[in-house]
Amino acid sequence: MGEVKNSTSKKGLGLVFFLAGFVGALLVGWLVFPNLLYSSKQQPLNFLHSSHEDLSCEDCHFTREDGSYSGVPGVEMCAECHEEPMTESEDERILVEEYIQQEREIPWLVYARQPDNVYFSHVAHTEEQGIECVRCHRDVSAEDKMPVYKENRLTGYSKNTIKMVECEKCHAEKGASNSCHVCHK
Amino acid sequence: MSLGRRAFLQFVGGAIGGTLLTPIPWKLADDSAIWTQNWSWRPSPERGEITEATGTCLLCPGGCGIQVRLVNGHRAIYVKGNPDHVVNRGGLCPVGAAGLQYLYAPYRVTQPLKQTGKRGDPKGFQPISWDEALKVVAAKLTELRQKGQPHAVACLTGQSRSSTADLWKQFFAAYGSPNLYTMPCHSDSTRLAVALATGQEADLAFHLEKATYVLNFGAPLLEGWASPTRAQRLFSRWQTEQPGVPETEFVHVEPRCSLTASKADRWIACNPGTEAALALGIAHVLIREKLFDAAFVADQVFGFEDWTDAAGAQRKGFKALVLGKYSPQDVASLTGVDAEVIQELARQLARQKNAVVLWGPPTDTPNNLYHDLAFLALNALIGAFSSKAMISLVPPQPWQALPDPAMDMEAFKGQGQKPLGQPASTPKTKVRPNTVHAFFNALANGEEYPIELLFIHEANPAYGLPENALAVQALQKAGTVVSFSSYLDETSAYADLILPNHNAFERLDDVIGLPGAPFAFYAVATPILSPQYDTKATGDVLLSLAKALGGTVAQSLPWKSYQDLLKLRAAQIAQAGSGTLVDATFDPASVAPGAPLKPNFSKASDVWRKLTSGLCWVDAPQALDRYATPSSRLELACQGLLASVSANAGDELFMAHYAPLNPSGDAGELPLLLITHRSLSLAPGYVPNAPFMNKLLPDDLLLQQDVFVEVHPSTGKKLGLRPKAKALLKTPRGEAAVRVRFAPTVPAGVIALPEGLGHTAYDEYVQGKGVNANAMVEVQLDPVTGLGTVWATRAQLRLA
Repeated sequence: MGEVKNSTSKKGLGLVFFLAGFVGALLVGWLVFPNLLYSSKQQPLNFLHSSHEDLSCEDCHFTREDGSYSGVPGVEMCAECHEEPMTESEDERILVEEYIQQEREIPWLVYARQPDNVYFSHVAHTEEQGIECVRCHRDVSAEDKMPVYKENRLTGYSKNTIKMVECEKCHAEKGASNSCHVCHK
Repeated sequence: MSLGRRAFLQFVGGAIGGTLLTPIPWKLADDSAIWTQNWSWRPSPERGEITEATGTCLLCPGGCGIQVRLVNGHRAIYVKGNPDHVVNRGGLCPVGAAGLQYLYAPYRVTQPLKQTGKRGDPKGFQPISWDEALKVVAAKLTELRQKGQPHAVACLTGQSRSSTADLWKQFFAAYGSPNLYTMPCHSDSTRLAVALATGQEADLAFHLEKATYVLNFGAPLLEGWASPTRAQRLFSRWQTEQPGVPETEFVHVEPRCSLTASKADRWIACNPGTEAALALGIAHVLIREKLFDAAFVADQVFGFEDWTDAAGAQRKGFKALVLGKYSPQDVASLTGVDAEVIQELARQLARQKNAVVLWGPPTDTPNNLYHDLAFLALNALIGAFSSKAMISLVPPQPWQALPDPAMDMEAFKGQGQKPLGQPASTPKTKVRPNTVHAFFNALANGEEYPIELLFIHEANPAYGLPENALAVQALQKAGTVVSFSSYLDETSAYADLILPNHNAFERLDDVIGLPGAPFAFYAVATPILSPQYDTKATGDVLLSLAKALGGTVAQSLPWKSYQDLLKLRAAQIAQAGSGTLVDATFDPASVAPGAPLKPNFSKASDVWRKLTSGLCWVDAPQALDRYATPSSRLELACQGLLASVSANAGDELFMAHYAPLNPSGDAGELPLLLITHRSLSLAPGYVPNAPFMNKLLPDDLLLQQDVFVEVHPSTGKKLGLRPKAKALLKTPRGEAAVRVRFAPTVPAGVIALPEGLGHTAYDEYVQGKGVNANAMVEVQLDPVTGLGTVWATRAQLRLA
């Protein structure tokens, strides 16, 4: 019988080992892994939408005549106002001296850039169609610092890049087609 | 507590179970799929604003308008035909559509290079600055001039329809060398035939848009004839029903059932090389049955009846010759076409109001002069030159050419030298015979005088010249070889200096005249995007070389830049006040020879602005009412040949007659005849087949690296071959491994090989595919003109 008792206590101990592995894996999977998967990157300079409230959104982000979207404006557009620094800000100094004066484009890290294999048209996703910008993009109106850019070490894309399931959900809600070729041309 | 194996397994089991409930496996699976999208070698288009630039394709002389899609104005991603363009109306050929693969090709020459090793050593090229390179060339040019040897400088250009060609002419005239050549083409021989028959220096203009019957002797209309997209449009026009316009009947004569033959209303299969005999047989029927345009012949034609030459000797005329020698029965035995068919064709041709005879070899090479004259004569008989004007002439320069060059004593002396290798018998006409093969032959064999400096501009003779081995030998004999190629092709491999030109999409250039078209034509090609590398437009290089030489050479080429020269063209158009600037709405059928079009422009700046926006200048061809021949008529017996043909020559040597040049080699050992042909999916010229084009090749034309030759099943069986079998093709010029395709579309005893394969240069996607047809064919110099003609080569095919 001693043998049997011994075995029961070993069974209890076995559960402890199992749980240790189980909980450890959960901790690693939910807490460590997400931090490991993404590297943090800083933007080349801190741009504040809140400092540009004298402009309308469409002054910089507009749809071109051919239906394509301008996205993030080029340094040429910045130069329209910032040919010379307007404030004492260090970020503005960087903008003027390192980019505008040297005619270099700012290598912005775009939070919402879609992969090449996705065809996405902004023209079909506008406020007129009942889709607010913040449905997909962050709210920039009260921001005093640009968020850290989290880059997926494996894929090279931003953590904020919209996943396909989000597209599909919204398409389903709005009654838009979820056929493959709608986005994957 | 001891941790045993069991405890470890329990821990691992728990860990696995736990991991499955975390994002790790799911996120990693997803991300690794996305990771494959971003491998560094996977092309990713640049993002940004998409714009469209308008230009003119310079990849062939076809003059098509193109629109190129650009990202951020500097990355070209797509070429399409310009729908508003007069030539192509939105159409484009495979070379043009694949054009960007030349622009971004890894085999581009990115900066001036100097050969530091042995000539031909691909590893010996070292970068050299533009200044230094130009100094080297200018010093060599100065030295040769000082030594009194300006004629030891030669140039071969592949751009015969660009102002750069005129700059070369101007440069060579002022510098003093007669050795300027263009890559051989069919118009080399037709221009001579036209000069002899009409006394004019001009290209033939066929009014195909208004033709109701086209009898075509071999011209490969759908395989890249003249301006390929225009030819395609003509085909569709002929076959489109239009109210009130009779449909055009298209009859095609060719030994092989080419694409053109297969799409024709009727295909007449003749023996290889006998097309001219068939034309003369048809002429015989027209004359015998009095079906020809007798009024035109009586009024405007010399040499139809018997004639007396300048020395007073009685000569037989064309009528007597044709009636005597080319009866349908005689011709039937030569051509393999039934005598009844010949009569039927003649009667059909005579019945039609707007009939025209078209001709040309399946590969764009010079033709036997007497054969070109035969087709001209047939057109004269059916009245195509009469007031019906189915054929007229377009001068190579629709306006005044460049100002006369200033020539000093050296220039006169040099220009007075005989072009290297040119036979003394070449006819003395307004047209300079383009004796490229004779030139290379003399250079390769060290005859007459050496060539110390050889320029090669936008041409690849080491691959593309029929009998290309001759070009390779010649390149090795030349003193210094300077290539202006944008690519490391077979020819630039033998250069001592490469001064790379901008690619076709990067440079400002122009197109003067559209081959075969019934109107004078001028288009400006604006750069689609700025040069990608440290290259220079050859026009500008020539101008700076002229400047460095100074004296009369610099005076003759006074323009600051190539752009200034092109603007001068626009000014000439504005000044001449003739012709009109058109888009796709222009209908060539509305043009009548001798009736200049009313200008829709006034100032030079206006012309320039419109030309650079994609409009083209067109004007009517000249009316054929004056002939500058000794008889002031259209000469079927060419008195222009009196000076070059011996006085006691037979009468037929002044007239069109069937004069095949016998291929060399032993008919016992080489019992078959090799003919070559072209296809729009194969680039035979200066640029190679781009990878996009190779995708169009079916696997019964190119299977992996093997090219297929076509043989008739009966011939194949006789040779013991099976379809797809590997075989060895042998001609007097070389041997090559091929595969066999049984095709009832070629005559028995004939092997058909496509042109445009078998490159040895460029990159792995171009080289080593198939066989270079130019290395297999035999070139025969026309005994009258000295031009290198190609029609058929004796060959053997045996199981490998």
